[in-house]
Amino acid sequence: MKTHILRSHERQLHSSFGDFVCMNCRNFISAEAVLSGVHHRNHCPYCLTSRHLDLYKAGDRLSACKASMRPVALTIKRTIKKYSSERMGEIMLVHQCIECGKISVNRIATDDSSKMLLTVYEASLNLDSMENSMIVQKGIALLVADDRHQLNVQLFGRC
Amino acid sequence: MNTFIGSGQGVVFRKNLGHYSVHTERRDIDCVLSSRLRKQLIYPTADPSSLRHRVQQVREIDHVDPIAIGDWVLIMDAGDGSGMITEILPRRNKLSRPATTTGQRVFEQVIVSNADQVVPVFAAASPPPKLHLLDRYLVSAEASELPSLICITKVDLLTDRSEIDEVVDSYQRIGYRVHCVSSVTGEGLEEIKMSLQGRISVLVGKSGVGKTSLLNVIQPGLGLRVKEVSQGHLGKGLHTTTHLEMFTLDISGAVIDTPGMREFGLWDSDTASLDQFFPEMRHLIGKCKFGLDCRHDEEPDCAIRKAVVNGEISPYRYQSYLKMRVLP
Repeated sequence: MKTHILRSHERQLHSSFGDFVCMNCRNFISAEAVLSGVHHRNHCPYCLTSRHLDLYKAGDRLSACKASMRPVALTIKRTIKKYSSERMGEIMLVHQCIECGKISVNRIATDDSSKMLLTVYEASLNLDSMENSMIVQKGIALLVADDRHQLNVQLFGRC
Repeated sequence: MNTFIGSGQGVVFRKNLGHYSVHTERRDIDCVLSSRLRKQLIYPTADPSSLRHRVQQVREIDHVDPIAIGDWVLIMDAGDGSGMITEILPRRNKLSRPATTTGQRVFEQVIVSNADQVVPVFAAASPPPKLHLLDRYLVSAEASELPSLICITKVDLLTDRSEIDEVVDSYQRIGYRVHCVSSVTGEGLEEIKMSLQGRISVLVGKSGVGKTSLLNVIQPGLGLRVKEVSQGHLGKGLHTTTHLEMFTLDISGAVIDTPGMREFGLWDSDTASLDQFFPEMRHLIGKCKFGLDCRHDEEPDCAIRKAVVNGEISPYRYQSYLKMRVLP
């Protein structure tokens, strides 16, 4: 269990997050919120690859694994909006560490490649049962074939 | 002008604004340091890296004190309770940090010398503990080959002891002795007294953690000035103790009280070999793919990173290590 003292220690260790170079495609990625639409850029917008840097919670930067995390699937964030349906939530990207297998769920950014997101979705429909069950055990409900229309609407608008 | 009547040796137990109190066999003597010796100590001529003396650098002499508490010195006694320090005897060990001067050259500030153990003190609450600063004290002590005794004060302020138990466990697991004490309730005082007995210990920590309060209860009668931490959202300690002093304990041994230090840079520590000052990493040095050249940061097949991932090394300590490599 992480205590208040240890959380304060995290803040002392990591005061800021900056630009980075993608481990996979080697593109330079700016962390500017103006470009990405999110304040905490955590994956490459071109290939959607992330990096295993967080240990206990998002942004703590305590992990020593530091391996790359590949995008494996998409999910939907459950919304708490009173009048919207559960499936209308924000699309989230599921990453898995290629070394230790850690799974994390991240927000997509404005400039994330829609084509790559669709590719990840297509690939996730054919995930092997072991990987699928590992994700499901974490309580993550993956997008399935029936969600294709919903995904298109969210990525490209009403068509 | 003083006429000196004799010479002798003693230990510096207090210093303040260029005056050094030296404890000799017969009595305590208030000494000064000659300007010539001061310059010799700050700009040793034998050191090839010494810079040429320049007028602007003389200003730095005012900021750097070449004499440390715990130094054994040779003195000339004027007979009227005053004297002059003529030589500093070789030091057994020293605890140093880079002096904060305005000039370009960074000077060594020896905080104490000839100590037996370092006692990093931090409060369980008010001011909130800074574990990275604690790691810096521990690394400095390791670099000086001094054993450390971690002292967590103000445990009476905790409503939930599990907050601190995890920290205590993580440091005990790597071999450090940890004492949780309260100057208010008296909790843990007997245990820490036993650990201080017969040794010269130096209390270090940031302002307001309760170093002087602890000393006041360990050695009743000192009546040293203490203050509450500042009120408001910052809750920072106030600089109450402004000079270094060594106090002899009735239970035998001595404790050196230091002013609060918010920053503690590492002096003369090669960042490439910083890992050897982390006891939990020591047995893994050289076992990485890149051997002794590994920086334990981005390198593949790093034994230390693997140990962190496996839970053998605390991720907090590992991050402290990385931070010290960048900002020693």
